[in-house]
Amino acid sequence: MSFIKKFIQQETVSRRNFLLASAYGVSGAAAMRMFGPSPVQAATYADPTVAWSYRNRTNPYWNEIVSGGEAFVESLGKSKDFLTHLINEGSSEKSLADVKALLAKTNGELALAIDTNDAPNARPVVEACAAAGAYVSTLWNKTDDLHPWDFGDNYVSHMSWSDEKPAEQTARILLEAMGGKGGVVHLGGIASNNPAIERLQGLKNALADYPDVELLDAQPADWDTQKANQIMSSFITRYGDEITGVHCANDTIGYGVLEALRAEGMDIPIVTYDGNPQAVELVAEGKILATVFTNPHWGGGITASLAYHAATGAFKPSEEPNEHREFYGPTIMVTPEDALEFRANYLDNVPTYDWKDFWGPSNGPIMYK
Amino acid sequence: MTDITAQTAPRARWLTRERIIKWAPLLVLIVLVLLFPFFEWLEDFRESKEHLYLADSRFFSIRNAARIAIASTPALMVAIGVTFIIIMGSIDLSMEGTVSVCAVIFAFAFIGWGGTLTSWAWLAIPLALLVGAVLGFINGLVHVRLKIPSFMASLAMGFVGTGFALLLTGGDRIRVEDDLFRSLLTVRWFNFPIMCYVALAMLLIAWFIQSRTTLGRNFYAVGGGEELAHASGLNVSRVRIMGFTLAGIFFAMGALLAVGRIGIAETATGNNFMFISITAVVVGGTALWGGIGGVWNTLVGVLIVNVINNGMVVIGLPSYVQDGVLGLLVIAAVVLSTDRKTVSFVK
Repeated sequence: MSFIKKFIQQETVSRRNFLLASAYGVSGAAAMRMFGPSPVQAATYADPTVAWSYRNRTNPYWNEIVSGGEAFVESLGKSKDFLTHLINEGSSEKSLADVKALLAKTNGELALAIDTNDAPNARPVVEACAAAGAYVSTLWNKTDDLHPWDFGDNYVSHMSWSDEKPAEQTARILLEAMGGKGGVVHLGGIASNNPAIERLQGLKNALADYPDVELLDAQPADWDTQKANQIMSSFITRYGDEITGVHCANDTIGYGVLEALRAEGMDIPIVTYDGNPQAVELVAEGKILATVFTNPHWGGGITASLAYHAATGAFKPSEEPNEHREFYGPTIMVTPEDALEFRANYLDNVPTYDWKDFWGPSNGPIMYK
Repeated sequence: MTDITAQTAPRARWLTRERIIKWAPLLVLIVLVLLFPFFEWLEDFRESKEHLYLADSRFFSIRNAARIAIASTPALMVAIGVTFIIIMGSIDLSMEGTVSVCAVIFAFAFIGWGGTLTSWAWLAIPLALLVGAVLGFINGLVHVRLKIPSFMASLAMGFVGTGFALLLTGGDRIRVEDDLFRSLLTVRWFNFPIMCYVALAMLLIAWFIQSRTTLGRNFYAVGGGEELAHASGLNVSRVRIMGFTLAGIFFAMGALLAVGRIGIAETATGNNFMFISITAVVVGGTALWGGIGGVWNTLVGVLIVNVINNGMVVIGLPSYVQDGVLGLLVIAAVVLSTDRKTVSFVK
C-alpha cells in the first residue's frame, strides 16, 4: 500500500505548491500588468502533460478534433492514452473546474488545448493557466478583448473559423442550382451559437444578389438530425412546392432534411456545412450540392501541438507576430466534381500532418468587427 | 314540476365531472387540430385571399397528418413503455440511453449479418428487442434489489446506456440503407407509411397487455396502492422488474422506428425522447402518482405534443416563442386533463 501513501503525499505537496504558485502568480501578474506586457520569463518543461478539454465525443465534429489531438501525441512516439481528456459536457463551470484540478495535479507542467465552451469562460481558464505556468491554446471561444499577446508565452494561440464567407459560397452554389428563382428555407444550429448566426448571415449575404429568390423561413434545428427532420416536414406542409432549395447550417441537419424530402418523394437541391465523411459521400452521389470542410482533425492536432511545443520551449510564442497567435482555421469547399478526389486525399487516408508546420494551412489573422 | 326535473336529471348526469376529465385530453387534441387551421385562415384573411376554413388548410390535410404520424411513431413507442412504469407510480428516465444502445446494436448487427432484411440480418430486430429487455431488466433489478428510487436508478442507467452507445460507435454514425428496411418510411398504404401501421400494431399489443393480462392489471394494483397490493399477496418487486423489462422492449421498438425514419443509428438517436415521452404521458392524462391512465391516453398525448410542434411551424410562429408556447400549452393540457381534486397534495 506504500504506493498509495506516496501518491497522497505527492498530491499534497503538489497542491501546496500549486496554491503558493497561484497566490504568487495572481499577485505577480497583477503587479506585472502595471509595467506593461508580461516580462516574466516563462518556465519550460521537458515532458509536459498534454490535455484536450472539449464538450464530448458524441458529436462527430468533436470526435474529429480529438482524433487530431491523439494523432499529434502519437507523432511524439507516445500512446494515444498519453492525451488527457477533460470533458465538459457543455458546462463552462465544469470546464474551468477540471482545468484547475489538472493544473494542481501536474503542478503547472501542462500543455492544454481547449474549447472553453463559451466565450466568457476563456479568460478565467487562461488566467488560471498563466498563473500556474502552464501553456494553453484555445479553439473557437474567446471574448474579443482577450488576446494571447497580453499573457507573454503562456497563452500560446487562438484559432477560430469565420463561417460567413464559406456559407455564402455554398448559398451561391445552391441559388445557382435553383436557377436564381424560387424559395429557399434555412435550418440553423442552436440560435445563440456563433457559427449558426454566421452561417445564416452567409445565406442572407448571397440572397442580396438574387432578388428573385425568397427566404421563406429560417428555424433553428439545434444541430440535430431528428429535429431537422421534423422541422423540414413542417416546412413542406407550410410551403409545399414553393420550396425549391434548402440551406442547412451543418451536415447533421442535412441528413434529417434529406430523409424528410425522401419521405415525400421530393428531390430539391440542398447544401450543408462541415464536410463529415458521410456528407462527402452524399456530395459525391450528387444528393448534396456542396459542403465545407474545416479540417477539424488538423485543428485539434495543431492546437495541442502549439501548446506542447511552447511548453517544451521549441518555440517562443512571444517572439511570433500577432497573426501567428490569433488565426483562422482552414476551409475547403467540397462539390460533386471534386468530392471523390477530396475523399481520397482527406478521409480515406487521414494525411500525416507535419505537426510542427503550425501556420501552413491556416487562413490569415482574425478580424474583429 | 317534479316530473320535469326528473326528466332532465339523466342528461345532467351523463356529463359528469369524471367523464369530462376522462375525455379532456381528446378534446384538447381536437381543439388544437381546429385551432391551427384557424390561424392559417386568419393569415390568408388578412391578406384578403380566398380561404375556406378547413378545406384550404395545409395543416388540416391528409399529407400533413401523415407527417405528424411519422414524427409521432418512435416517440409513441417510448411513451407507451414509460406509461406502464408511470401507472405503477414509478418513473423511468433511462429511455435516451436505452434507445441509443438498441439503435446502435441493431445497426451493427444488421450491417454485420448481411445488411438486408432478406438475409439473416432480420435477426437484428429480435436482437435489438432482447437488448432493450435486458437493459430494462437490469434497470428494474437496480431499482428493486438495491432499493434505489426509480427516478435515480433509471436516470443513472440512462447515462450508462449513452456512454455504452458512445463506446460502441466511437462517436461515428452508422447508416442503414437497406431499401426493404427503409420501406418502413418510403412505402405508403392509404397515404400513411408502413411504420405508422407497425406503431398501431404495437399500440394494440400494449392495450392488450394493459387490459387483458394479469401483469397489466397488476401495474394498476401497484400504482393504486402498493401496500394494499403487497398485503393482498402480490409480489410487488416482481411486477416492478417485469414492468421495467416491458418498458425496455418498447424503448427498443422506438429505437427501431427511429432508425427506420432517419436511416442513421448514432449515440444521439436517443436525444430528446425523455422530454417528449414524459410530457406526452402526462398531457394524455396519465397521473404521475400512478394508478390512473393507459396507453390510449398516451397516444392522445403524443399526438398533442406533435400537433403543437408541427402546427407552430406551419402557422409561422417565430422560433424564439415556440419553446415558450409549447411549455404553456403543456401546462394548460395537464390542467385540463388530470383530475387533481382527489389529490390532497402534489410532490
